[in-house]
Parts: sequence; structure tokens; C-alpha cells
Amino acid sequence: MKATNRKCTYLLLFVTLLICFARPVWADSWAELQQESAKIKSIAAHFSQQKYLHILAKPLLSNGRFYFQAPDSVRWEYTSPLKSVLLMRKGNIKRYTMGADAFALDSGGTIESMRLVLQEISRWSKGEFTKSEYFSATLKEGKEPQIILTPKEKELATMISRIVITLAPEKKGFIQSLKIFENEHNYTIFEFTKVQTNANISERLFLEAE
Amino acid sequence: MKALLLLGRWVILSVSILQVISCSSLPIINPAQQDAAINHKCGQPFFASPYRFVHKIEVALPGGKTGALLGITRVEPLARSVSSAITTVEGFLLFEARYDKALHVYRALPPFNAEHFAEQTMADIRLIFLSPEGQPSEFGVLKDGAAICRYGGDDGKIIDVIVRQDNTWEIRTYYRHSLLRKISASSVRDRVPGILALTGFEAVRYSLRFTLISAEPVEEGQDIQ
Repeated sequence: MKATNRKCTYLLLFVTLLICFARPVWADSWAELQQESAKIKSIAAHFSQQKYLHILAKPLLSNGRFYFQAPDSVRWEYTSPLKSVLLMRKGNIKRYTMGADAFALDSGGTIESMRLVLQEISRWSKGEFTKSEYFSATLKEGKEPQIILTPKEKELATMISRIVITLAPEKKGFIQSLKIFENEHNYTIFEFTKVQTNANISERLFLEAE
Repeated sequence: MKALLLLGRWVILSVSILQVISCSSLPIINPAQQDAAINHKCGQPFFASPYRFVHKIEVALPGGKTGALLGITRVEPLARSVSSAITTVEGFLLFEARYDKALHVYRALPPFNAEHFAEQTMADIRLIFLSPEGQPSEFGVLKDGAAICRYGGDDGKIIDVIVRQDNTWEIRTYYRHSLLRKISASSVRDRVPGILALTGFEAVRYSLRFTLISAEPVEEGQDIQ
């Protein structure tokens, strides 16, 4: 049970941070993908999220923004319906959720798990999807290129069956959407808009929830 | 996320312990002049048609630690069924189940797969959203004027539904006069509580706070795929 919990923890963080690291990529090959990724120093984008559940016909809708600053600073912020902010900077990760009148820190001993995930992130930030310990990556070429990540272990596959990253066809180097399948009935679609790359992002955004 | 798992474990531990150490006497029910009005008032917390609710769920831990999850609940009163999903704030599905005469668990990631967790969670959700079965064994008013309807009693299990004049309400469950659960609804608007606070009075006391994000009517069977 303990090992399962750890794997589950890492997996959740993996998915969480994969979304944060939805970096602009475009590629006809892994090498080109890595090459494109290396050019990106910062990202600011809006996202919409549709959560499909087995028990619901209509998806739950959320909106937010995310910011990335190389090498490893992330702000993943939901603006509706529930305000929350996930911050990552220099190996430290914090999550805040809006209380009655202010953001409250979700507390708990999360440091060690997050440290391990950061190793994954450093790979993704270089476009090294194929070096993940947890997922095998396939690049599907075509008009809308896709990266398909599938779990390497059966145990993980019961939690996430696959992740499909669709690359923007017309804009070289951008992710258009991200689809995370927990199973065929339960999945989440993220769509990114207003993407800005290599703009100056205030460091404060990675330090404070407000 | 590790914190989340710890929160889950703690909640599971607390709801799994059956030994009741909290004692509380049942409130005294005074006769009311208008029985029909009392019965009507006691039905106020419960919807007669299907509804979907989304809540932020806050878990309070000993030592002041806190964590937040999202809870999605679908209630079908006529079928007496409830469906529930619990996700992280970012939407990752941790638990999904449905109760319609029997419990169906579609997904329960550790630690939400612990023994009794699904059963207890769905029992709590039914307690919050579905009116108690049968007719009240007693009803009347409390000292402060709140309407009260009492259900059960023969097997030692009692459910009190208490609705105040300002439309806030409480549901309390007892076993042999010992308080097991208290659900308090406040910030009620159009019969929908903005805040629900659930407290378990068992070997380990715990509390969950549900803050309403959205509430919307749905068609019978519409949401079920």
C-alpha cells in the first residue's frame, strides 16, 4: 500500500507538472522537438479545462493561466470556478487555495516527493519526453502532430491510461491541447490560448499567490 | 500530493473507527401547533428533483494543517441515488462512486480505496442530500423555535433534521443517544447552502467544510452516461 501511495503521489505530481510544462513544441522528430524546446525561456498562457466524468454528461469547466520561466519556475493558476495557485521555484512547490477572503496555503510534508518529480521536469524542459521513468512517448506525425504518453507499468495504467499532447499545426513550436485520460469515461482536456513566449515575467509571480 | 494522501488517510482513519466515545443528549422536542408547517419546514434542506453540486472540500487536520479537494455530487431524489466524484483542485480524479440501492465504486485511488471509505463517504453524502426514509417518529420545535423532525429510534439509530427560522439547518445522527455526525448548513440562498460543515464525533474528531462552487438542476438521468 505504501509503495502504491508513493507511486500515486508521484503520478499525480507528474501529471500536475506535465500540465505546467505544456511547453511550446513542434516537431517532425524528437531531435527537432528538443531543438525547439531549447529556444523557450519563458511562457505565459491562458488555459481552459474541461473535466469529463463517468457520472456526468456535461463537463466541468475551469479557466486559468500558467507561467513558466526557465529553468524550473512555474505558476499554474486557476481563476474560475475555484481560485487556486500552484507555485514552483527552485525545487520548492506550494499550493494555495482561496479561502473566505484570502489565499490559504495547503500544508503538509510534500518536499521529498516533489524533489523527485523535479528530475522529470528538468527532462521535459529539454523536450526529453522519451526519458521519463513513468511513460513511454510516441511521436505521431501529421497535420496536427501528437505526442502520446503511455504508462510503462500496469499499476500506473490503472490511474492514467494515456496522455495525448496535440501540437499546433500552424504555429511552429506550440502545444494546442492536452488530453489526459484516466480511463475512457474520465478525462481532462486543456486548451491553451494567448500563448506568449520569451516575454519578461516578474519573479514575484513564482513566489506569491496574490 | 503527499499531503493530500495524508489528509485522505486521516479522514479514512477517523471515519473507520466505529467506537463511539462522544456523548450528547438528544434535544428535547416541544409540541408544535401546526404539524404540517413543521413537516414542510423539515423537508426544506432536500431537493425533490435531480441536482448537481460542485463544492470545494476543506479538510482540517490536527496541528492546524489544511488541504482542499473538489467534490462533485449528483443527487436523484426520486431514485434515491447519489453519485460522487472527488478530484484534486487541478481536476485529477481520485474517487468516483454511485449509490442506487447498492454501492458502485468506479474509481478509488489510494488512500481512497481503504476499507469502508466508499461506504462511509456515500453514507455521508446521502445523509446530506437525501431526506431520511420514512415518516418522522417525532416532530415539533426546539427551545429556540427551530423546527425539528426525528427519524428512526427503534434500532438505536436516530436522525434529527433541524431547520431554523433563518433557513439555516442541521442534520444530526445519533446512536443510542451518542452524537455521531453533525452537518450544519449556513449561507443558505434559494434553499442551497453556501457552506456545509460536517463534523464526525467519533474516536478521532474530524471536520470537513464544503463551500459551494455551483448548484444546478439536471434532468432525471441526464448526467449519467
